[in-house]
Amino acid sequence: MSDRKFVILCVDDEPVSLLVRSRVLEKAGHEVITASSGSDALKTLRSTSVDLVLTDLLMPTMTGIELTRNIKKEHPSLPVVMFSGVNELPQEEFHADLFLSKLEGPQILCEKIAEVLHRSEYARHQP
Amino acid sequence: MEPAKSHGSEDTNDRVNILLVDDQPAKLLSYEAILGDLDANLIKASSGTEALEHLLKQDIAVVLADVSMPGIDGFQLADMIREHPRFQKTAILFISAIHLSDIDRIKGYQRGAVDYLSVPIVPEVLRAKVGVFAELHRSRRALEALNRNLEQRVSDRTEELRERADLLDLASEAIMVRDMNGVVLFWNSGAEALYGWTREEVIGQDLHTILSTRFPIPVSDIESSLLKTGRWEGNLVQFTRDGREVTVACRKALRNERAGAPGVILEISRDMTDRLRAEDALRNAEKLAAMGRVAGIIAHEINNPLEAILNIFHLLRGHVALNEEAADYTRLAEQELLRVVHIVKHTLSFYRESQQPVAVSITEVLDNILELQSRTLHLQGISIERRFLTDATIQGFPGELRQVFMNLIVNATHAMPDGGRLRITVRRRVDPKTHLRGMAVSVCDTGTGIKREHIRQLFEPFFSTKSAKGTGLGLWVSKGIVQKYDGAIECRSISYQDGNATCFRVVFPRHISMRQIHSDAAYSAQES
Repeated sequence: MSDRKFVILCVDDEPVSLLVRSRVLEKAGHEVITASSGSDALKTLRSTSVDLVLTDLLMPTMTGIELTRNIKKEHPSLPVVMFSGVNELPQEEFHADLFLSKLEGPQILCEKIAEVLHRSEYARHQP
Repeated sequence: MEPAKSHGSEDTNDRVNILLVDDQPAKLLSYEAILGDLDANLIKASSGTEALEHLLKQDIAVVLADVSMPGIDGFQLADMIREHPRFQKTAILFISAIHLSDIDRIKGYQRGAVDYLSVPIVPEVLRAKVGVFAELHRSRRALEALNRNLEQRVSDRTEELRERADLLDLASEAIMVRDMNGVVLFWNSGAEALYGWTREEVIGQDLHTILSTRFPIPVSDIESSLLKTGRWEGNLVQFTRDGREVTVACRKALRNERAGAPGVILEISRDMTDRLRAEDALRNAEKLAAMGRVAGIIAHEINNPLEAILNIFHLLRGHVALNEEAADYTRLAEQELLRVVHIVKHTLSFYRESQQPVAVSITEVLDNILELQSRTLHLQGISIERRFLTDATIQGFPGELRQVFMNLIVNATHAMPDGGRLRITVRRRVDPKTHLRGMAVSVCDTGTGIKREHIRQLFEPFFSTKSAKGTGLGLWVSKGIVQKYDGAIECRSISYQDGNATCFRVVFPRHISMRQIHSDAAYSAQES
């Protein structure tokens, strides 16, 4: 089941970060689509099927937490990974499946994403 | 018979009472006429009995009595008057026809003021004699009043002084009086409470020798200010009987020599130690909070580009277009970048690796660090002494706790470049204030030691004694972590003949019991 390419929706308001992160994920064998804002991401999700959303925490207009809440409303089983430059966990409740620090580096990012994908894939194939 | 004039009450100060005793009303009237000019109340009595009644009722200056009266005669009246202690000094003036026997009896009244007049009465003589007695009485009464007044004032003043002494004792301030040579003359209970020495122990001793006072400015400057202005104020550092250092706000006042009394210096000291410490703590907390805010902002601003660069190096690695040299540089750059990431991660914010705190075995963490450091420790000739007296765990984040002890152990290693002893103790500890059961971990080394003046600054950001080697953030971060656990970290460094001993002690107020650990383990197993 890990043969097929997973589709990851990568959300960040900073274009350079978004670009290189996408390349890293592609290098790890995933297919990546990008969105530069929360509303952009929600629009994409309505038309495209994705396996995982990787979103930045701090973004203008819609924060990662708000985005996650919206995603979970429409797609409760879609895994969301929250990604933040601030190392402290957010104070408010968030529904992401994983919280990751940007400083963990690309290797850990890829490993953790693989884990989450694997878990969600396994859950989906459970009777 | 009623008194001739409305006699004033006893408290009439200058008018005295003169009691006229005669059985013949005509004589009483004539005495009254003769004595009318005297500024006195004239009280008439027609018998000895009546006279006694008046005597008992009011203060009588002079009794003018006829010797020959029916019933109680003049002499009997005098005897009765004299028997009463209150009237021992009352002046008695007899009026008698001259009989020799009378004169003899009169001479018998040697005690007290007694005189006699013979008939016929010469008005001037009567007036003069009564006047003298009345004046005598008035003076005595004034003297008595003065005496009473004096006694009252003495007792008031004594009371006032006693109250003042009580106040001095009640004062929480230490109040001390010393002579010009520094010898203690007075020491209140506030001083006893503050310094621990009793009055008996210090009276006669040199004040500032006992207290090992450290003055903020030369003593000669304080003395010249005292001599010039009579006052001095400032903070002093002193030591209590049990060796505790206290900072006091001291006010000194000089009382100059006067009226033969030698000059003295009054010193009032208030313990500022706790207040200064609290202010210090507050300042530190504010500083840390401000640093924390700045760190948060910097972390955010730095972390975003750092992540991008990390990703870029990741993409560059093994890129086909890079020749060998370029690939080497890239590798070096990535290594350096990882150092930056490491610093940012461990200093600018305290990253929590997991959302839920778990039961962390401190001894395991310590063993782990010592294992990692074993090679360095061995090469530097450092011997390790583990004193793990408890294996209790605390609820927390292993990475953070590891960072704290890694920091302390690495610092200890750096302090012993030429070898030494590293002793790590873990013991249970009950907090004396909260009675919470917790644990204390100490990391002690026999290294270079830490200067007294540096100890206070150790936990401040960007303070380092290691010059180029340190970032000055290690202990600051450690302190931040320990405080998150409601704990405390402190440092002591002692120098003695053979070397130094430096000890960092980390106190955690709570640890959890073994049963809790098991249930927590079950809980976290469910979680994952």
